[in-house]
Amino acid sequence: MIEITDLHKSFNGNAVLQGLNLSIPDGKITVIIGPSGCGKTVLLRHMIGLLQPDRGRVMVDRVNLSALDRVQMNAFRGRFGMLFQQAALFDSMNVFENVAFPLREHTQKTDGEIQKIVAEKLALVGLTGTETKMPSELSGGMRKRVGLARAIALQPKIILYDEPTTGLDPIMTEAIDNLILETQRKMNVTSVVISHDIPSSFRIADQISMVYKGRIVESGTAEAFRNSKHEAVQEFIRKGEGKG
Amino acid sequence: MTLLLKWIPFLNVPLELLGALGRWCRFVWAAVTWSFQPPYRWRSWFCQMQFIGVQSLPIIMLTGLFTGMVFALQTGKTFAIFKMQNLVGSTVALALAREIAPVFTALMVTARAGSAMAAEIGTMKVTEQIDALRTMAVDPLQYLVTPRVIACIFMVPLLTIVFNYIGCLGAYVVGTTLLDIPSGPFLRHLYWYLDPDDIFGGLIKAAVFGFFLATVSCYKGFRTEGGAEGVGRATTSAVVASSVTILVVDYFLTTWILEFFTSHRH
Ligand SMILES: Nc1ncnc2c1ncn2[C@@H]1O[C@H](COP(=O)(O)OP(=O)(O)O)[C@@H](O)[C@H]1O
Ligand SMILES: [Mg+2]
Repeated sequence: MIEITDLHKSFNGNAVLQGLNLSIPDGKITVIIGPSGCGKTVLLRHMIGLLQPDRGRVMVDRVNLSALDRVQMNAFRGRFGMLFQQAALFDSMNVFENVAFPLREHTQKTDGEIQKIVAEKLALVGLTGTETKMPSELSGGMRKRVGLARAIALQPKIILYDEPTTGLDPIMTEAIDNLILETQRKMNVTSVVISHDIPSSFRIADQISMVYKGRIVESGTAEAFRNSKHEAVQEFIRKGEGKG
Repeated sequence: MTLLLKWIPFLNVPLELLGALGRWCRFVWAAVTWSFQPPYRWRSWFCQMQFIGVQSLPIIMLTGLFTGMVFALQTGKTFAIFKMQNLVGSTVALALAREIAPVFTALMVTARAGSAMAAEIGTMKVTEQIDALRTMAVDPLQYLVTPRVIACIFMVPLLTIVFNYIGCLGAYVVGTTLLDIPSGPFLRHLYWYLDPDDIFGGLIKAAVFGFFLATVSCYKGFRTEGGAEGVGRATTSAVVASSVTILVVDYFLTTWILEFFTSHRH
């Protein structure tokens, strides 16, 4: 359970989040949508403690993230996996080393076991056999999928996806959507997905929340969301469905 | 009054410097405290030692050789006026050991490895790789800064020894060939005047320079903002700030080291 209360955040006088409230249920997929630059990434970064609120509170499993010191925070981050918008692969390491990184850092597994897990995760994202490639040799979509494999390598309880399907072709988008659904069902994780893609959001979401002007303007099931009275929501759905 | 207003922007400079110094101290404190916590990443320590130490060898040998040679030439010409050419070896060796070898080595390592540290860490910062480390519960200071600082503290003194040795060799070659100093007196004076304390004091300096150049360069890398352009800015300012720091620290260290190591001889 992630509880965000009255979250405020500004950068150099630019108020990005202005009293945002959001509750994210356990074991469900919550999709966060909203126009570009409205602060979705900023919101996600607060959930994993990469940013500290100017005001307000972020509680994850009843723990206030601001109250943790750096050692406690490091321990706490074990329950998260995060996929960054630009994948954030380590560009000094090849694909295998990237996916193996969290396993090497946090488990005592042997090289053989690690090899097996990495191969398995790469197969999940459809990238079998790319182990020795460097990130610079991969397309944007492939990098994102490697980032996803790395994020799920340690079987986290909460997975944060920052635009996992943006820039992917429709077939790959569907594959990633299915992967998110499957991961969620198999491992019963809590998934938070930032998305631009309205049809895919409706397909995978248990809850959809829309960020607009620094607040959540609508939050609910796909059905409830579709019937929202909010103007911005309706406009977003209209434009999104036309595109998808 | 208007004159005062015109100067107000300049008054900000010391304040900003003070602020930067404070941030750097906090950064160093965090990095040092993380250094003593497990896990110890021996492999990346050795990788950095290889990059900072072993791969700097050619450039250090080259600069050492030419520094020793030119220094011998200059002192030789001057000493010839007083017919004291025999002292060229000891003069060059002393200056190298106490001052020139540690400072030049540190400056060369800054140019080669300090800039690389800032660029590497800066790139990781702007492409969110540092944040990715954090989300994977790996402390970026411990992972990135500790190995580089440790490698510099060990490697800059070792490179300084090489610089000393090659520099003296250069002076010997120039002295015995161009200046016609007989090899015997050249070496005898060199051994007579050069104390282990001189070399040791220089190595302490080198270790301190290594610490400063690594922490300043990493600090600049960590503060990178704004894409590829920001990485360029960070790299430049890392080299400038490290070099200035080395020269300033050198002054204070010299007073201190002269006091403690060599005073008993006077
Ligand atoms: N570290 C930062 N420093 C300054 N401004 C930032 C920072 N991070 C985000 N912003 C600003 O916050 C706003 C929202 O950004 P973001 O959350 O990335 O949007 P999006 O919803 O597209 O993910 C943007 O205007 C961005 O410029
Ligand atoms: Mg974003």
